[in-house]
Amino acid sequence: MIKVPYIDLKSQHALLKREIMVAIEMIFDRCDFILGEEVEKFENSIAAYCGTSYALGVNSGTDALFLCLKAYGIGTGDEVITAPNSFLASATVISATGAKPVFVDIREDLNINPELLEVAITKRTKAIIPVHLTGKPADMAPIMKIAAKHGLKVIEDSAQAIAAEYNGNKTGALGDAGCFSLHPLKTLNACGDGGIITTDDKTLYDTIKQLRNIGLKNRDESDIWGYNSRLDTIQAAILNVKLKYLDEWTADRRSNADYYCSKLANIVKVPQQEAHEKQAYHTFVIQVDNREQLVTFMTEHGIETKIHYPIPIHLQKAAAKLGYKKGDFPVCEKAADRILSLPIYQGLGVEKQRLVADAIISFYLINDKSNLPTFTKL
Amino acid sequence: MKVDFSYLSRQFRLSESGDSKETLTDLIFTDLKEFIKTGDFTLGKKLEEFEEKFAGLVGVKHAIGVNSGTDALTLSLKALGIGTGDEVITCAETFIATAGAIAATGANPVFVDVNDTFTIDVSLVEKAITKNTKAIMPVWFTGAAPDMQALLDIGNKFGIPIVEDSCCGIDADINGKKAGSFGTTGSFSFHPLKNLNVWSDGGMITTSSDELANKLRLMRNHGLVNRDEVEIFGYNSRLDTFQAVVALRLFDQVKSITEARIANANKLDAAFFELNDFIQVPERDAKVRHNYHLYMVRVKNRDELLKFCNDKGVDAKVHYPIPLPYQKCCSHLGYKRGDFPKTERDCATIISFPAHQHLIAEEVQYIIETVKEFYSK
Repeated sequence: MIKVPYIDLKSQHALLKREIMVAIEMIFDRCDFILGEEVEKFENSIAAYCGTSYALGVNSGTDALFLCLKAYGIGTGDEVITAPNSFLASATVISATGAKPVFVDIREDLNINPELLEVAITKRTKAIIPVHLTGKPADMAPIMKIAAKHGLKVIEDSAQAIAAEYNGNKTGALGDAGCFSLHPLKTLNACGDGGIITTDDKTLYDTIKQLRNIGLKNRDESDIWGYNSRLDTIQAAILNVKLKYLDEWTADRRSNADYYCSKLANIVKVPQQEAHEKQAYHTFVIQVDNREQLVTFMTEHGIETKIHYPIPIHLQKAAAKLGYKKGDFPVCEKAADRILSLPIYQGLGVEKQRLVADAIISFYLINDKSNLPTFTKL
Repeated sequence: MKVDFSYLSRQFRLSESGDSKETLTDLIFTDLKEFIKTGDFTLGKKLEEFEEKFAGLVGVKHAIGVNSGTDALTLSLKALGIGTGDEVITCAETFIATAGAIAATGANPVFVDVNDTFTIDVSLVEKAITKNTKAIMPVWFTGAAPDMQALLDIGNKFGIPIVEDSCCGIDADINGKKAGSFGTTGSFSFHPLKNLNVWSDGGMITTSSDELANKLRLMRNHGLVNRDEVEIFGYNSRLDTFQAVVALRLFDQVKSITEARIANANKLDAAFFELNDFIQVPERDAKVRHNYHLYMVRVKNRDELLKFCNDKGVDAKVHYPIPLPYQKCCSHLGYKRGDFPKTERDCATIISFPAHQHLIAEEVQYIIETVKEFYSK
């Protein structure tokens, strides 16, 4: 029996159902299902929330990244640098443009290592996609400095990082463009696919506005080839309801993270919290020894956990033609064997959190002393 | 009187006090309330249910829900391995997305002129084939049927797959065989103004090939074979399960929607045949079930008629005024005025009148009278 689910969309939506249905009903006064008023309202709200001049709703977080790359003219023959431990979409969007994904290893904090960037830059490099994995901002200051030096665009993969902050600025406002996913499993989640792009770049904004709408300049004229990638009006209406709760939900996730850190910091490696940042805790990822046994133990105790992600992108079958091999990114590969995501969703509650923490404590300290991790607190 | 082109506010009316029974929209809302509680938002059970029903309607083994009709076309081409350096033959008279889907793969659209019934002129297709031709994409534009048998014959002769753009062709058929069931794949759009419409973008690919269906199911979902393993680099293009819930309620109405549109089109045809000095009604083929996604005819003094109708409250439109090969986005393809005489003729003379299933008899009559009034001046 599941005592602690990894995520609980049912409870979230049972609470919001009434408000969501009222918001959807309002659309029927206008029936503007495609790029309707609610989309514009959501775009304005996200731009204001992130502190950018513009925001554009698209079909998914994947499409958000893809459209930014296309709008910057990136394609065949170009290279784009990203991290190998992300969800694979961070890299597939690069391939989808015809460009080559170039991976750079991560740091212990699971984000791209800025010190390794420059050796990966070639004359074909056009952009860097740093990933704010787990909702922890990548170390953007050195990344931006290197990008400026080499004339590269920086497209933030903020798919997991809405509401995170770095030096007082929100993710999505740190690079040339920010890309958010609004997938149902994200903190700010639609009831279907959705994505949004944030930027201060007027040219980028104008280009993507056309690209997402089949290249149409107006009803009858197309001056560029485009795509069909629009955030649904209905999903925007749902998101406008949910956005009001985002800060509350994020605060709850942060307090859940604090709880886990306080209980587990001496036992497993917990995410480090640094003074210059506020993490969003889309996921709460610990790094452990004997992960397989721990997962079994947790499952036996009714606790769901996940691994984000067990196979690094460069070792996926689909990436074979990129020519990477095991051993190329040692920090990433080591982490892939040790990471484990604990339930962190808003509304989880202290009772369930205690079950999670106690299970981990029992596993390492009480049940079997031989399982004591070799890892010690950083 | 005002006769709107869009019927959405009639189709999706919420019940008001005094209504004796629930409206269609009320029923969908009830379904959605239940659905939202399940949290089954991505590639969920209701989507599978809709896919099965849709495959049944078209008469194919598989239906794969994707984000839009445009994506349905792009993914179909990509699943066939079509990309940079390849050519795909299509009709010069269509919505921009037909060619956009080809361009999105990196291939070049190769345009062929239209016949007199708004579909590809099959007599010109063979001449357009080169060693780079990797697919032929006929379009069921307006819901009219391309000559599918002739196209299949050409496809077989040259070993080139037919990728149907049946985005406008829901429930259209030739001798009972449905649009989307002739080619290697069919592509459909559920955009709000299509005959089977959802409350957002939406699309579907139909095919009877197990291999293509498996590949397309991977491609629409990041290439994931399971949560953690990636077989191929894919895309994110899924029909929202939310919208499948909407579509399932509308599904049973599809045939009656087509029939209501056919009835309206027949009335307009009968009236316009009498005005044959001014209006050219395309030949109607008894073998074809035209779904009248668009009711489109060629007329004299189109721009004046359009303005007259619009001023009188008849929401006529032009689909579309600029020949696709002459759009700026096609400039790299090197076409010039004169290359597509029939498409050019159509773009200058076509007009679309409302013929949707929510028109009442008086409204159809008003359209006819307005057009008659214009030409009697």
